[in-house]
Amino acid sequence: MAVTAESLKELEKKQAWWWIAEKKRSRRLDYLRKAVWKKGAIGGLYPAGLIVDLERPVLQTEKARELESSADPYVIKFAKILAHVLDNKTIFITDHSQLVGYLGSTPNTITWDPSLASILNHEVINDPQCLPEPLDDSLRTIKDIVNYWAGKSDLDKILPYMDLDDSMKILSGAIGWGVPLARGGYSGKDYEYIMTGKRAFEDIIAELDRRIDDAYAKAHEPSASKEISNLYDKINNWEAMKITLEAGIRYAKRYARLARIIAENFETDPARREELLKIARTCEHVPAKPPRDLQESLQYDLFIQLFSRNEAIEGAWPARPDYYHGPYYEKDVNVDRVLTEEEALDLVGEFLIRAYEVSQYKPKWSREGLQGIEGTWVWTLGGVKPDGSDACNGMTIALLKAARLVRVSNPTFAFRWHPKVSDEVMRECFECIRQGLGYPSMRNDPVLVANAMHWHGHPIEEARTWVHQACMSPAPTTKHGFQPMRMANATANTAKIIEYVFTSGYDNIVNMQIGAETPPVETFKSYEEFFQAWVTQMKHVFSLVVRPVNRGRMLAPTLTPRPFLSAVSERSVESGLDVNDPSISRGNAWITAFTWVENIDSLAAVKKLVFDEKKYTLAELKEALANNWEGREEMRLDFVRNAPKWGNDDDYVDSIMLDCLREAAKFSRELKCPSGNSWPILPENVSGNIHYANVVGALPNGRRLGDALYDGGISPGPGLDKKGPTAVLNSCAKIDHITHGRAFLLNQRLSPTQMAGEKGYQLCKAYMKTWADLGIDHVQFNCVSDETLRAAQRDPEKYPELIVRVAGYSAHFVDISRKTQDNIIQRTVQGLA
Amino acid sequence: MKCTECGYDAPVAKFRYLYNPRIDAPITLRQCTQCQAWLVVDELKGVAKKSIGPGEDPWGKSAGIEGLAQDLREKPR
Repeated sequence: MAVTAESLKELEKKQAWWWIAEKKRSRRLDYLRKAVWKKGAIGGLYPAGLIVDLERPVLQTEKARELESSADPYVIKFAKILAHVLDNKTIFITDHSQLVGYLGSTPNTITWDPSLASILNHEVINDPQCLPEPLDDSLRTIKDIVNYWAGKSDLDKILPYMDLDDSMKILSGAIGWGVPLARGGYSGKDYEYIMTGKRAFEDIIAELDRRIDDAYAKAHEPSASKEISNLYDKINNWEAMKITLEAGIRYAKRYARLARIIAENFETDPARREELLKIARTCEHVPAKPPRDLQESLQYDLFIQLFSRNEAIEGAWPARPDYYHGPYYEKDVNVDRVLTEEEALDLVGEFLIRAYEVSQYKPKWSREGLQGIEGTWVWTLGGVKPDGSDACNGMTIALLKAARLVRVSNPTFAFRWHPKVSDEVMRECFECIRQGLGYPSMRNDPVLVANAMHWHGHPIEEARTWVHQACMSPAPTTKHGFQPMRMANATANTAKIIEYVFTSGYDNIVNMQIGAETPPVETFKSYEEFFQAWVTQMKHVFSLVVRPVNRGRMLAPTLTPRPFLSAVSERSVESGLDVNDPSISRGNAWITAFTWVENIDSLAAVKKLVFDEKKYTLAELKEALANNWEGREEMRLDFVRNAPKWGNDDDYVDSIMLDCLREAAKFSRELKCPSGNSWPILPENVSGNIHYANVVGALPNGRRLGDALYDGGISPGPGLDKKGPTAVLNSCAKIDHITHGRAFLLNQRLSPTQMAGEKGYQLCKAYMKTWADLGIDHVQFNCVSDETLRAAQRDPEKYPELIVRVAGYSAHFVDISRKTQDNIIQRTVQGLA
Repeated sequence: MKCTECGYDAPVAKFRYLYNPRIDAPITLRQCTQCQAWLVVDELKGVAKKSIGPGEDPWGKSAGIEGLAQDLREKPR
C-alpha cells in the first residue's frame, strides 16, 4: 500500500502506531526491526525458536579445565576465560546492519553463563524447550558443564560465607528477589571515564602498563611494608584488566576482518560493499581508540556493553546516550554534514535494535518479574550538564524519533525533565507517550539531583550526571559516585510486612519463620500498638534483604572479581583494586520496595474498621485473612469500599503513607552499606506485583492470595483512585520526594482520545506543570484504550507490536500474562481537564 | 456452585481460585477443575455467571473516564 497522508491519518485515527512506524521508517530499519529475534519471556517462558547457546559455556568450561593446574591467581584465570570466549566465539554480521556484535553465536540464541550459579544451571538442564536439537547431545553437553561448575560457580563459592539463616529465607523466594552476586544484577558504569572521548582501551592499557611497572619496581625496593605486600594483588588485578581490554580489541578486529572479507570477496552491491568497509574501519579503530564519528561512538558503546555482559549477567543497562553520543551526532549531522538526519536516524534506530536483541539466560523468577523483556534497559535522556545547563541536544530528539520508528519494548527511555527543557523536546516526549510506547517516563531532575545529594552525599556536579541504574534509581556516572553492582537481592516484597503483623512473622506460604516474632495480633489494644508491630516487621524485612548484599559486596573483590568492569573504571585503574571494593566507592545503595502501597491501604482499613469504628475485631480479621476471605465476601468488600484508599487526596490514609515512609527513612540511615552510606527505600514493582501474587497471603486491603498486587510504587490500587488525576497528584505530593526515599514510581493511564492533536499536548503539558510544581519525582503513562487492549487479548496475532507500560519498563502487550494484562486494563483511565 | 460449561457441581472453594479482576467488585475468576473453563463467579451469591475467554470483560471497563465497572454502576456505594 502506498504511503499517503490520508492512509497515515486513517491509521492514526485507529491508533495503529505500529503500522504507521512500519510505513514511515527506512527500508534498512524496517528490515533490521523485522529480522531481530525478540528475547523477552512470554509470561515466564522464552518464546518458541529461541535456544540456549551452548558455544559459550563449552568454551568457558574447556578453558577453566585447562587452567585448573595453572598457578595463576583466580582473577587472572577469570580474565583468561573471558578472553578465550571473546577470541573463539562465532561472530556474524546481519544484512543491512551498520553496527556489529552480539552475545550469542547466532541471532536466535540466549547466552548462558554456567559460572554464575548452580541453581541457574539446573534451570537450564530442566528447560528442554530451549535446548538445541538433537536434545540428547545437548543434554550430554549440559550435564558435563553443570557437573563441572557444581561447587565452583559464584553462588556456590559465596554461600558458605553467608549467614545460613538469612540465605534460607532469601532463597525461599517469599521476601527477596535475586541473589547477592557481583556478576548478577545492575552494573553502573564510569561513563565520565570511558565515554567522554578522552581515552579508549589502548590508552588504558598504556596506563595499566605504567602502573604495573611502577608497582613492580616498588615491590622490589629494599622494604617489606604491608603496602608493598598489597602491591602483588594490585599487579594481578591490573594484569587481569589488561587481558580483558586486549581481548576486547581483538574481538573488534575479528569483526573488522569479517566485514572486509565479505566486502572484498562476496558483496556484489557497491553501496553495501562500502558500508561493510566502513564497519571494518570502525572496528579497526574502536574500542582500541576513542571514536571519531557517530557510528564509531555507537559501536564503541555497544562493544563495552557486550564485553560487560560477557563478564556478568546484567539485568539493567544504565546509559545516557544523548549526552555521551550527542557531540558526535552534532558533529556529523550539523557541523561536518557527513550524515543526513535520516542516515543518523538509521544508526540510532539500529542502536536501539541491537540493544533489544541482547539476551542472557535468566532464572524463572526473573523472567516472571520482568515479563516481556530481557532486563530493565532504561536509558536516561535529557537532564542537565554538571554546570546546570540544559543537556538536551540533537541526539535527544533523534533517539525519541527513532524509538517511534522501531518501537522496541526494550530499551525504554526515562526523561530528566527540568525547567529549561525546550518545547521542541517536550513535544517529542509527548509524541512517544501519545503513540502508546509507555515511555519516556518523566523524572523531575531538580528533585532527583537534590535527592542524590541528600541520601548519598554526591557533590552537585556529580549528582547532575545521574542515570537510571535500573528502572528508577539515580546513580552518578563518576569515578566515586557510580555503583558497579546493584545486587538485585536488596529488593523486598514489602506486602509481607503487613502480612507478618497478622502471623507474628510466620510465613504460611513457604512455611517458615521469616519475619519478627511480634505478639499475636489479637492482643493489640490500640492502632499505635498495631503500627509499632508493623515498624518492627519493616525493620526485620529490610535488614534481611540488606545483610546478604553487604556481605556479598565485601566478598566480591576476592571471590567474584570483575576485571573488565574494573578496567573501564577510573578508580580501579588508579588503585589496582577490584571495582566492587567498597573502599573506593561512595556508595549508592537502595532497597527496592515492591508491593508497598498494600501496607498503606491495609493499615488504613484496620485503623478505620477495627479501631475507629470497631466493626470487626483483630481476631475476626486474622481468621478471615487466614481463610483467604473465603465465605466472608461482604466483610472483604467492606474493607475495600468503606476504608479510605491511597490516591484520593484523603489525609486519613495519606498521613499513614507518610508515617510509614518516615519510619522507613529513619531506618534507612541506620542501615549502612559497606561504603558506609545509607540504604533508602525505593517503592516500585516491575511486574513483581504479578510474580508475588501467589506468594503474598490475603491482606486487610481486601486482596486474596492469588490476586495481583498494586502495580506501582506509589500508584493507587487499580480502580481505587476515584477522585481524578489531581487527587492522585495531591496525595503523591504529600510525600517529600527528597527525604522520604530514593524515588517513587507512579503509573497513570490516560485516554488516547484526549491526547489527540494540539489540544492533547496542551493538556499533557498542563498536567506535567502541576506534577513538576508539586515536586513529584516520577510519572509514567499508558495511553492505550481498553478497546485496543481487549482486542489484543482476543486476537494477539493481530497486535504483535502493541506496547504497554508495565511498571518501570514497557513490554509488548501480547508477551505478558493474562493476569498482568488484566491488571493493566484495571488501572483507572484518568481524564485531564 | 455449578460450572456453566460442564455442569460440575461443588462448593465454590472447590473451583480453583485464579484472581480478582477488580478488587472493589464481588466478582472473581475461578477455574473449573473438571473442564478447566475459566468462570466469572459472583462471590456474594456463590454463583458462576459465565465462562470467560480472551478479550472479554464482563466486569465492565476500567474505572475513570472510560466508565465504571458494570457491577458498581448497578450497585452504587
